[in-house]
Amino acid sequence: MSQDLEPRIVVFACNWCSYAALDLAGVSRMKYPPNFLVIKVMCSGRVDPQFILEAFRRGADGVLVAGCHPGDCHYIEGNIKALRRMTLLRRVLEGFGIEKERFRLEWISASEAEKFVRVANEMYQEIKSLGPLKLQETV
Amino acid sequence: MNEEPRIGVYICHCGVNIAGSVNIKEVVEYVKNLPHVVEVRDYIFMCSAPGQEIIKEGVKKYNLNRIVVAACSPTMHEHTFRNVLIEAGLNPYLLEIANIREHCSWVHSESREAATWKAYTLIRVAVAKASLLEPLKDITFKVNKNVLIVGGGVAGLSAARELALKGFKVYLIERRPVLGGNTARLGRIAHTELKGKDVVGELLKQVVDNPNINIYVNTEIIDVSGSVGNFKIRVVRQPRHVNEKCNLCGECVRVCPVEVSNEYEFGLTKRKAIYLPYLGAYPPLYVIDHENCTRCLECVKVCPRNAVNLAEKPEEIELNVGAVILAAGHEPYEPLIGEFGYGVSSRVLTLFQLERMLDEESPTKGELKINGIQPKSIVFIMCVGSLNITPNAYPYCSRMCCSSTIKNALVIKERYPETNIYILHKDIRTYSRGDEQLYLRAGERLIRFARYREAPNVLVNPDGSIDVRFFEETIQEEVSISADLVVLSVGMKPPKDIDRIRTIVKVGCGPEGFLREAHLKLRPVEAATDGVYLAGTVTGPKNIVEAIDSGSAAASKALTLLVKEEAIVEPLVAVVDDERCSACSICVGICPYNAIRIKTYEDRRIAEVDPAVCKGCGACVASCPTGVMQQFGFKDAQLKSQVLAALYK
Repeated sequence: MSQDLEPRIVVFACNWCSYAALDLAGVSRMKYPPNFLVIKVMCSGRVDPQFILEAFRRGADGVLVAGCHPGDCHYIEGNIKALRRMTLLRRVLEGFGIEKERFRLEWISASEAEKFVRVANEMYQEIKSLGPLKLQETV
Repeated sequence: MNEEPRIGVYICHCGVNIAGSVNIKEVVEYVKNLPHVVEVRDYIFMCSAPGQEIIKEGVKKYNLNRIVVAACSPTMHEHTFRNVLIEAGLNPYLLEIANIREHCSWVHSESREAATWKAYTLIRVAVAKASLLEPLKDITFKVNKNVLIVGGGVAGLSAARELALKGFKVYLIERRPVLGGNTARLGRIAHTELKGKDVVGELLKQVVDNPNINIYVNTEIIDVSGSVGNFKIRVVRQPRHVNEKCNLCGECVRVCPVEVSNEYEFGLTKRKAIYLPYLGAYPPLYVIDHENCTRCLECVKVCPRNAVNLAEKPEEIELNVGAVILAAGHEPYEPLIGEFGYGVSSRVLTLFQLERMLDEESPTKGELKINGIQPKSIVFIMCVGSLNITPNAYPYCSRMCCSSTIKNALVIKERYPETNIYILHKDIRTYSRGDEQLYLRAGERLIRFARYREAPNVLVNPDGSIDVRFFEETIQEEVSISADLVVLSVGMKPPKDIDRIRTIVKVGCGPEGFLREAHLKLRPVEAATDGVYLAGTVTGPKNIVEAIDSGSAAASKALTLLVKEEAIVEPLVAVVDDERCSACSICVGICPYNAIRIKTYEDRRIAEVDPAVCKGCGACVASCPTGVMQQFGFKDAQLKSQVLAALYK
């Protein structure tokens, strides 16, 4: 069996923009670290902050939520709803001692494969240098 | 579905596209040991007929009730494999795709080990979700055959004509008191003997007498509920205050004491508060501009046919339609006061004002006279409001201004051959058929073209004379031209109430404010919202031909929906899962489509989702504090199982 890859980063990608951007990265044969595992949702507005807490609790080293740019949401402003929730979530994560580099919300349109690759490389490097997530006892 | 999941996993090589980077054998071995997995097969092309046959055989042989296909992106073949499930006797929504091509083999080809790890990890995630999938039923609904068209310019008229000719009922609403949009205000159209209003007139002939078309002028959309196939539209019609008894005698205009700038002449003249927008306007009735009317009642007293009624009130109308075409058009860019001397000097006009002036029906009867004097030297400045030439200009090219500028310059040269004409441009884009010849002819007639680098400076001297200064790109020199008339070739901008309309109809817009197509190249006349179509300049600058074309195209696209008796949507909608709902109503406010209502039953209140209206974004699910709101295909348990599977070590 192949060695398990570390760090482990969960991506929530919206169906219309970001999932398509990841497809485009593939079609364009771009390269990014394999540590990113994509879970498709129809809209970034579907992403419940509990999923992200659950991910960190279960051993994720990083979480990326990717949606359409403001104004481009297929559902008008689901991404803005995500933004509001994630702003609050950031403070919760901070309270748990989870470094801010481990969680990102990014607007990645269907044509922005390059942006996804850039974000993925940045996140990979930052999380790699932080090392594995060590949650405090209280969580 | 309570039976134990029996999952078949089908791994595609995609030729060498996947198998070239992923060790398929190792993946098969790994996947065999995942929970609920009964069969694992790999094949060179799963989407091919023999590949599909393997899946169908597996279902039969192993009594499978869930299928995972590990292959390309679901956008490629999810539809194909759903049909395979149907043919195998399974519900099509018991399928999960693991995207091991676009998200794996194509991006991790540098390491076979990493690609293999990722492939089986992605399959593990898909298997986890598959074991929680439920059979779903497509949502079908009856399609209402009527269409609402918002905007009575050439694009809206063209769409109305096409739909009515095919026997569909059209409600055409127009915000202004007259049909024809911006085209009606244009002068002679290049390459034709027609004026703008003649083009509009030709379309009107085919529209106004068609019994399938109901025209509402002075009317705006105020609310939309429902969705594709069944929209409920509320519109409000402002009173015209003049009824069909009017025979255009003009007595009312004579006595009206109010004078305001005439927008149909681009402010070149004044009009009264009771007026006819232009000769040949439809409907052919006077109208009272109730914002400026002082209610002096002079017109009521003088009208010999009792056609004026100031007591009329705004009227709200409800329309039921299956499709909506937005053809709300554009507005010409209005330069700021002082921008290129506009509004400061009477010798600075916009191209539209010049074109009105050159029209034989203009206040000057087509004579080009500024303050009574015929200009000898005319400078056109192109791209005003476009190509980012000034801080508040738009970034795009407005497409029609080059040809229109050259056309008008040629008209002037024809009527007044002695005139010196300079056209200052950023670039010449005479792309339409025949327009390049206009450009060449302009050169032959000694109209001078010069290319500026930065927006030219228009200096209005104390004696009223004007100097236009700019740096000329070709000769690389500062140039100064003294001008008797400066004409600003203004571009197009989004109409001012477009934000209001798009918020009501739920359509996105681009950074400049024009409406966004579902796909720029592949779906140019459809909005991302099902059942909403886009026509004309509402999506960005177009010339008349393009606007009429896109009107016909939008109508044709709407027909693909309207000809169906029933339409189908994917059932990936929100649902209130059980009776624990506390009717807190958070979801009601979150839903962008008004799909959720609080229903009262005998003893309790709960939220209910209208599946025909829900678009399946899932925002309500993420906001539900008790977790009773769920989304088919994306339930909390399903997504959490994916998170867990992704992190399994």
